[in-house]
Amino acid sequence: MIEFRNVHASYNASVPVLKGVDFTIEDGAFVAFVGTNGAGKSTTMRLIDGLIKPDEGEVLIDGVPTTELRTSELAKRVGFLFQNPDSQICNNTVRDELMFGFKALHEEGPEAEERVAGIIELFGFDPDADPFLLNRGTRQLLALASIVVMAPQVLVLDEPTTGLDFRECEKVMDIVRTLHERGTTVVMVCHDMEIVGDFAEQVIVMNDGRVVDQGPTFEVLRRRETLERASLVPPQMVDLSLTLAAADARLAQAPVGRANTLDEMEAAVRAEAGKGAGVAEGAPVVELAAAPTAASQSRARVIPFPTARDDAAKQAAEQGGR
Amino acid sequence: MNKFLEYVPGDSLLHRMNPTAKLLAAMVFAIMCFCTSNLVILVAALVIGLVLARSCGMMRQTAGLMKAVAVFSIILAILLVFTTPAGAVLVPLPWGYIGTGSLIAAVTMIIRLEAAAIPLFLVFYVTKMTDMANAAVKNLHVPYKYAFTFMSTVHFIPVFMNDMKAIMEAQTSRGVRFDEGGLANKVRLMVPLCVPLLVSSVRKTNSAAIAAEVRGFNLRTRACGYKEYPFAGADIATLVASVALLVVAIAL
Amino acid sequence: MIKIENLTFRYRESEEPALHDINLTIPDGTFVGVTGAAGSGKSTLTYALNGIIPHCYPGDFYGSVTVEGKDTCEVNLTDLSCVVGSVCQDIDSQMVASIVEDEVLYGLENFGVPHDEIPARVDQALADMGIADLRDRMIASLSGGQKQKVAIAAILAMNPKVLVLDEPTAELDPASSLSVFRLLERYARQHGTTVVVVEQKIALMAQFADMLVIMEHGGIRYAAAPAEVLAHSDDLLRIGVNCPRVTTLVNRLRADGVYAGPACRNVEEARDAVLEVLA
Repeated sequence: MIEFRNVHASYNASVPVLKGVDFTIEDGAFVAFVGTNGAGKSTTMRLIDGLIKPDEGEVLIDGVPTTELRTSELAKRVGFLFQNPDSQICNNTVRDELMFGFKALHEEGPEAEERVAGIIELFGFDPDADPFLLNRGTRQLLALASIVVMAPQVLVLDEPTTGLDFRECEKVMDIVRTLHERGTTVVMVCHDMEIVGDFAEQVIVMNDGRVVDQGPTFEVLRRRETLERASLVPPQMVDLSLTLAAADARLAQAPVGRANTLDEMEAAVRAEAGKGAGVAEGAPVVELAAAPTAASQSRARVIPFPTARDDAAKQAAEQGGR
Repeated sequence: MNKFLEYVPGDSLLHRMNPTAKLLAAMVFAIMCFCTSNLVILVAALVIGLVLARSCGMMRQTAGLMKAVAVFSIILAILLVFTTPAGAVLVPLPWGYIGTGSLIAAVTMIIRLEAAAIPLFLVFYVTKMTDMANAAVKNLHVPYKYAFTFMSTVHFIPVFMNDMKAIMEAQTSRGVRFDEGGLANKVRLMVPLCVPLLVSSVRKTNSAAIAAEVRGFNLRTRACGYKEYPFAGADIATLVASVALLVVAIAL
Repeated sequence: MIKIENLTFRYRESEEPALHDINLTIPDGTFVGVTGAAGSGKSTLTYALNGIIPHCYPGDFYGSVTVEGKDTCEVNLTDLSCVVGSVCQDIDSQMVASIVEDEVLYGLENFGVPHDEIPARVDQALADMGIADLRDRMIASLSGGQKQKVAIAAILAMNPKVLVLDEPTAELDPASSLSVFRLLERYARQHGTTVVVVEQKIALMAQFADMLVIMEHGGIRYAAAPAEVLAHSDDLLRIGVNCPRVTTLVNRLRADGVYAGPACRNVEEARDAVLEVLA
């Protein structure tokens, strides 16, 4: 569990970046932070990771203030994917890069080897490739892999999709989603509201160093005025749904006025159109069954590798066995 | 927040002075410190340096600088004490002796280095790098290419520092223990990270050269500079004063 | 006008050409959005326009690129850059100065802009990017987004006939990205500047660009008005370009004849399309 209690923080005492931030992130949550550049999102991520410490207030990870832990100790619990993979990658081969975290924590051994092998297979890497010669998207995947291999309980992502094309972006986010499904807590900063809508379960809106709104993803994303105050616009389907509701009061009550995703909107429009035109004359009413998108198809993939929860279960089993 | 040798904005007399005058005066001042072994003059020079630092509000930076210079000069001073037998014998050594003269030489060395360093470093704190390069081109007719090379080198230092910081942060959050142990530990852990830093620097310098070229770097002549750097009364006075000091120092 | 004819380019160190058989004509004052999957040749296409190929990167260059009547192979890079202003991807390395104002001054000084015009140009460029308050700041102390705006301001100040930008909003939040696109559009409309932007943010390009260029494996797959290109959302998805959601929605409705209008580019057009379907 991650708790922020009245956190104030700054890089330079005269310029406060966070001005009293409170929130709680439960284990297993998938939370997206949204806001403009300079709203304090990245600072919040650095606080979770212990790279900076609060000036005032407390940041608690599983009840322990980050001020009492070294960053390198926190590294076992919190994995941090930086925006630029180049600041993270520092080894000559993909395999070494994946082993690097174990070496840093002095945990090399057959188990580490096994995990690295699993990850290489999962991500489809060439283990002997030189990371510096890979393209940007693959380097970002490698950076993610080298964190995932450590099976942290919390995964912090600072704009994980910046600079990636659509496919690379999907690949990265697919893996993040799978990790989340396996019990990893995911905290991410993201400017792309479509990705926030697709993946996050909760959203925290920040503006000028403060939390201005938080809650389940679409509840927050449908509060247009609050988002506007933080200079944000909802994802397109929510935007369209709100725009339609505003244009026609009748639609506000209809499914069209409540649709949040592409598939929901398509089904709602077809249903509504069928009503208006009369069933006899119009096209058949299509139920919530649009053709699966590339995204939803790839989501179904099962990814077999250990995560924090598996580890915990394994440990518990071992202890129980003794 | 401000990094080593990075410009600190301000409006003091030193900030407003002509960059060329500042740089020249500081250089003459430093030469002066090396031309004399007169302790009175050196102490006076040190005081002048501190007064200058005070006048532009750089005491904190100067204190930091003095500490760094002190470490370096004390090492030199210790060497000097053991290798310069002079004055009345205090401690005999197998290869000579430590005398009163040796101690005086050592103290002189420390004060000299401190006194010479302060104004030189102050120049960097109170002058924008671009101004320094442009003024050198305008006033001293330094070819722009050299001025630009110097400027970009210094300009890239904070960029690389940021890169290094980002790399260290990324590694710390992967469990590398930068946050414990002493300097030696840090250095040992940093060595393997130099490769990515080098790779990114080479990439950066390459694209920097292209970026400068597409913005007309090759067209630049002395007349291009938009800002003029005239010499004012204070600039001439400062130059005269520094040369006078030099003459006095050599004469005594 | 920009005219690219039968352009093929292969970097010396690679076997496959980065660009092949490119033919493209861009009239003056056109706002062009270029996108495509990673490695499809987008950046290389911008290099062809601003002369970085063949002048800076060695390789085999076939065909011709003419910008405002200048053949990019025949004029030198400096002469070409009087006409073409470029903002590259790596913002940090293109900064030459340590202070924002000096960065904007740099190009103006070099290209010999009369000294009495310079202050107004600097003011204008900074105001256009909404960064007038950053004028005296150290560039090293700025955030990534702010630096990106400084880089664009430094190029805008030079009033180039052609602006080439490689992912200018990569590090910007949605509001700033939108303001950059609005500004570029204004330059295209008011000054007749030809703007070529490479971006992944297709929703923004769909809304603002006059022409969308979709690249695939070094070639041009589509080059046409957005509504025309966006009509092919399935094919675009296949080559790794995801259309705006509203476009996909309306295209699905078009596919089985529920809606007969053109492909839509933004939420407003989608709203009108849906209202028409429901009417």
